[in-house]
Amino acid sequence: MKSNLGTLLYAAVLGTVCALLLTASAEFTRPYQDANQRAEEIRKVLSTLNVPVEEGASAMALLKVFEESVKLEQRDERDIYTYVSSDVADQVLAVAVQFSGPGLWGPITGFVALEPDLQTIRGVTIIKQEETPGLGGEIATEPFCAQFVGKATKNASGRVGIAINGTGGELADTQVNAITGATITCDKLQAIINEALAVILEENQ
Amino acid sequence: MGNDKKLSCGPCASKGLCGGKGLATLKDGAWTSNPLAIQVLGICSALAVTTKLENSIVMGCALIFVCVGSNVVVSILRKCTPHRIRMVAEVAIIATFVILFDQFLKAFYWDMSKQLGPYVGLIITNCIVMGRAEAFALQNPPLLSAIDGLANGIGYAVALALIGALREALGTGAIMGYTVLSTSWYTPNQLMVMAPGAFFMLGVIIAIFNALKGPEDEAEQK
Repeated sequence: MKSNLGTLLYAAVLGTVCALLLTASAEFTRPYQDANQRAEEIRKVLSTLNVPVEEGASAMALLKVFEESVKLEQRDERDIYTYVSSDVADQVLAVAVQFSGPGLWGPITGFVALEPDLQTIRGVTIIKQEETPGLGGEIATEPFCAQFVGKATKNASGRVGIAINGTGGELADTQVNAITGATITCDKLQAIINEALAVILEENQ
Repeated sequence: MGNDKKLSCGPCASKGLCGGKGLATLKDGAWTSNPLAIQVLGICSALAVTTKLENSIVMGCALIFVCVGSNVVVSILRKCTPHRIRMVAEVAIIATFVILFDQFLKAFYWDMSKQLGPYVGLIITNCIVMGRAEAFALQNPPLLSAIDGLANGIGYAVALALIGALREALGTGAIMGYTVLSTSWYTPNQLMVMAPGAFFMLGVIIAIFNALKGPEDEAEQK
């Protein structure tokens, strides 16, 4: 009995000390880790918006470029990033909106960037997704995202939204090819993107 | 340890900070029973992160830090650790050091942390660290355990760096941005950067270590 108590005590003390140490180090490094996370996000925003960035730029340099050329505003609890020219005042070069929503297995987060007239998509980037690797997970790959570039945000009858349901044949102006075997992921991604497009387009009409 | 005398640290031997066994321990961990090349332990991470020299070096540093740290703590606590839960205690101590290093990487070397991915965290299950804590630190005083951890860490790190350097050189023709094999006459072999390349390289490194070490080991075993 006595030795059991000793064992329990030892485990409790060791556990507490380890936990305290880890908590302290987590607290200490959190600001740096957050800054890195933020820089990562900014890098994605900048690349979606096509803002020229030096390759291998540090987190600080990125932040500076971001603050100089990108305006951030909130609308319907969505972050909207506007890329403004540094030479001409009030000249908008591109607009990006963050989208996020449920995928098949977990949340999908990303950005969709539009040309200043809001009629054409400039790019789509997926930041976070937990879809099936090899099937739905392909939405985060370059070839899939590149499909969106140059697509229209409205079809001929003025309905806002893109469709991710192409089957490899002829594609409409607002349509991209879906991924075989990832129908649910594609449908959900389409809904998430369209929701974001609706917010940004309707506000500006 | 028949050659203890030859390796004892001379003046320090009698005073005995580490009982005169420091150098022998160092040689044993880093060379004669090199964890990677001789004992072939911990090769999971060794195969996964050695696509580039830089990654290999950081991974080696991580293992040295964890191995020394956990060995010292396990050794300090060796007399009051209840025998039944010693392994749980070892894992807790090792995990603490690994997570400390992981958080440090995430805070100050973000890109590196992303490249190494889960493999830093997986050091917790690395058999070298656990093995040294269980086989050495539990029986030996802290200073000697620190030396043992350092030796094994160095043994792992050097072997890892060798594999990393060779794979990066043969796979991309450059090491850390410096061209070593000009593409004008050398075609980078993608195979070396992929997983099978690591197996080939590890085999080559093990062969080199065994060739240099000579056959004496086998004679001893008989």
